[in-house]
Amino acid sequence: MTEREARLWSALREVLDPEIPISLVDLGLIYAVREAGPRVEVDLTFTATACPCMDFIREDIRTRLLRESDVEEVAIREVWDPPWTVARLTPEGREALRRFGVAA
Amino acid sequence: MSRFTEDEIKQKVKEGYILESPDEMTEGYRKALIVQLLVQADTELMSAPAYWMAAQDAPSINTQVSAVAIIQDEIAHANIAYRILEDMGLDKEQLIYGRAPNEFKHPYGFDQPLESWAELVTANGFFDRAGITLLSDVYKNTSYGPLKRALVKVDLEETFHLRHGEVWMRRLAQAGGPVKEQLQRAVDWMFPMTIEWFGLPDTMKRHSGQLEYRLKGMTNDELRQTWMSATVPLCESLGLRAPAHFDAGKGEYVLDFPFPCEYDDAAKVWDFAGGQIGWDRVFERWKARGPMNEIYVESVRRSHGPLKSMMAAA
Repeated sequence: MTEREARLWSALREVLDPEIPISLVDLGLIYAVREAGPRVEVDLTFTATACPCMDFIREDIRTRLLRESDVEEVAIREVWDPPWTVARLTPEGREALRRFGVAA
Repeated sequence: MSRFTEDEIKQKVKEGYILESPDEMTEGYRKALIVQLLVQADTELMSAPAYWMAAQDAPSINTQVSAVAIIQDEIAHANIAYRILEDMGLDKEQLIYGRAPNEFKHPYGFDQPLESWAELVTANGFFDRAGITLLSDVYKNTSYGPLKRALVKVDLEETFHLRHGEVWMRRLAQAGGPVKEQLQRAVDWMFPMTIEWFGLPDTMKRHSGQLEYRLKGMTNDELRQTWMSATVPLCESLGLRAPAHFDAGKGEYVLDFPFPCEYDDAAKVWDFAGGQIGWDRVFERWKARGPMNEIYVESVRRSHGPLKSMMAAA
């Protein structure tokens, strides 16, 4: 991973799920981050095909990454394969869900 | 029955005691909690047909999906409250399918038709905001442990409903023209509707079982102020007129309309010109119910009979 990619992942770690205050990264929704100059591509999935928060999540990712001075364009690619499962939660994500009373 | 007397239980909850089972409740505590839970359960349940009606006007498939997900949340929230009532010995089936429509305890605002996307998102921004204001006060202060724990999920999900409302209100306001005007008309009837929802002014409330048994922490006026501290700045930031403003001298929000006043539910207009009315008139209006009361209750019940027959035959 390049230093820039690491910085972008850190930025994405600050983007929280709109319902439960857990990072999208800890939820395991970010499948990939690719950077090419001023353009950043994010491969993103959702916990369900009928997620009500899709627009909000996309907007939050865009807003956060555009705050980086070297990012001018954010392309979000929706990926449904491999399908998300709770196995994709990080240990921090699992712990945060437990604290908020949500079983995983 | 409880080993406490009414005075003892009031003293204990004041000291921070948390009840964990219906066996600990005195008759007074139990009655007060049942009323509170019925209001919560009925309000969540009846928001479903109201929001579903408005969701027909969703501008796209994805936005309708969001609205349906919100409706699903509300039904689950209703079930949480009905479940706690069931644990206290009430019959959930009778509550939902057996009561007359006018026996449901949701506020007058949810007896009204929501006829557009603008009204749905304003309901999210105003009614869900009122819900969160009330429920987070309950979460913080309730002396009933099972309810406190059950509210964690409710509060988180209502927070999303609120955000959905505010983001969409911003979009519609920024669109300007007739779209913004439609939003303003929604604000015009729904703001006073929510103000009324918080109930009698503190000066008129004789006693509050809910405060004495620590089922809530803030008074009606305090809750009203909290609600306005979010919704008035929201409207101002969106260039929408709200009939209230912050009075720096008094250090509180002040209503710019006579409260309470008459409501024309057909025209969806408050009669400010008619001046302030007595609360006895408001209670008469509430008792007469709103135009959608029977329709909403019927729509929740419609499939119950056929579904039961299907399950019995299976």
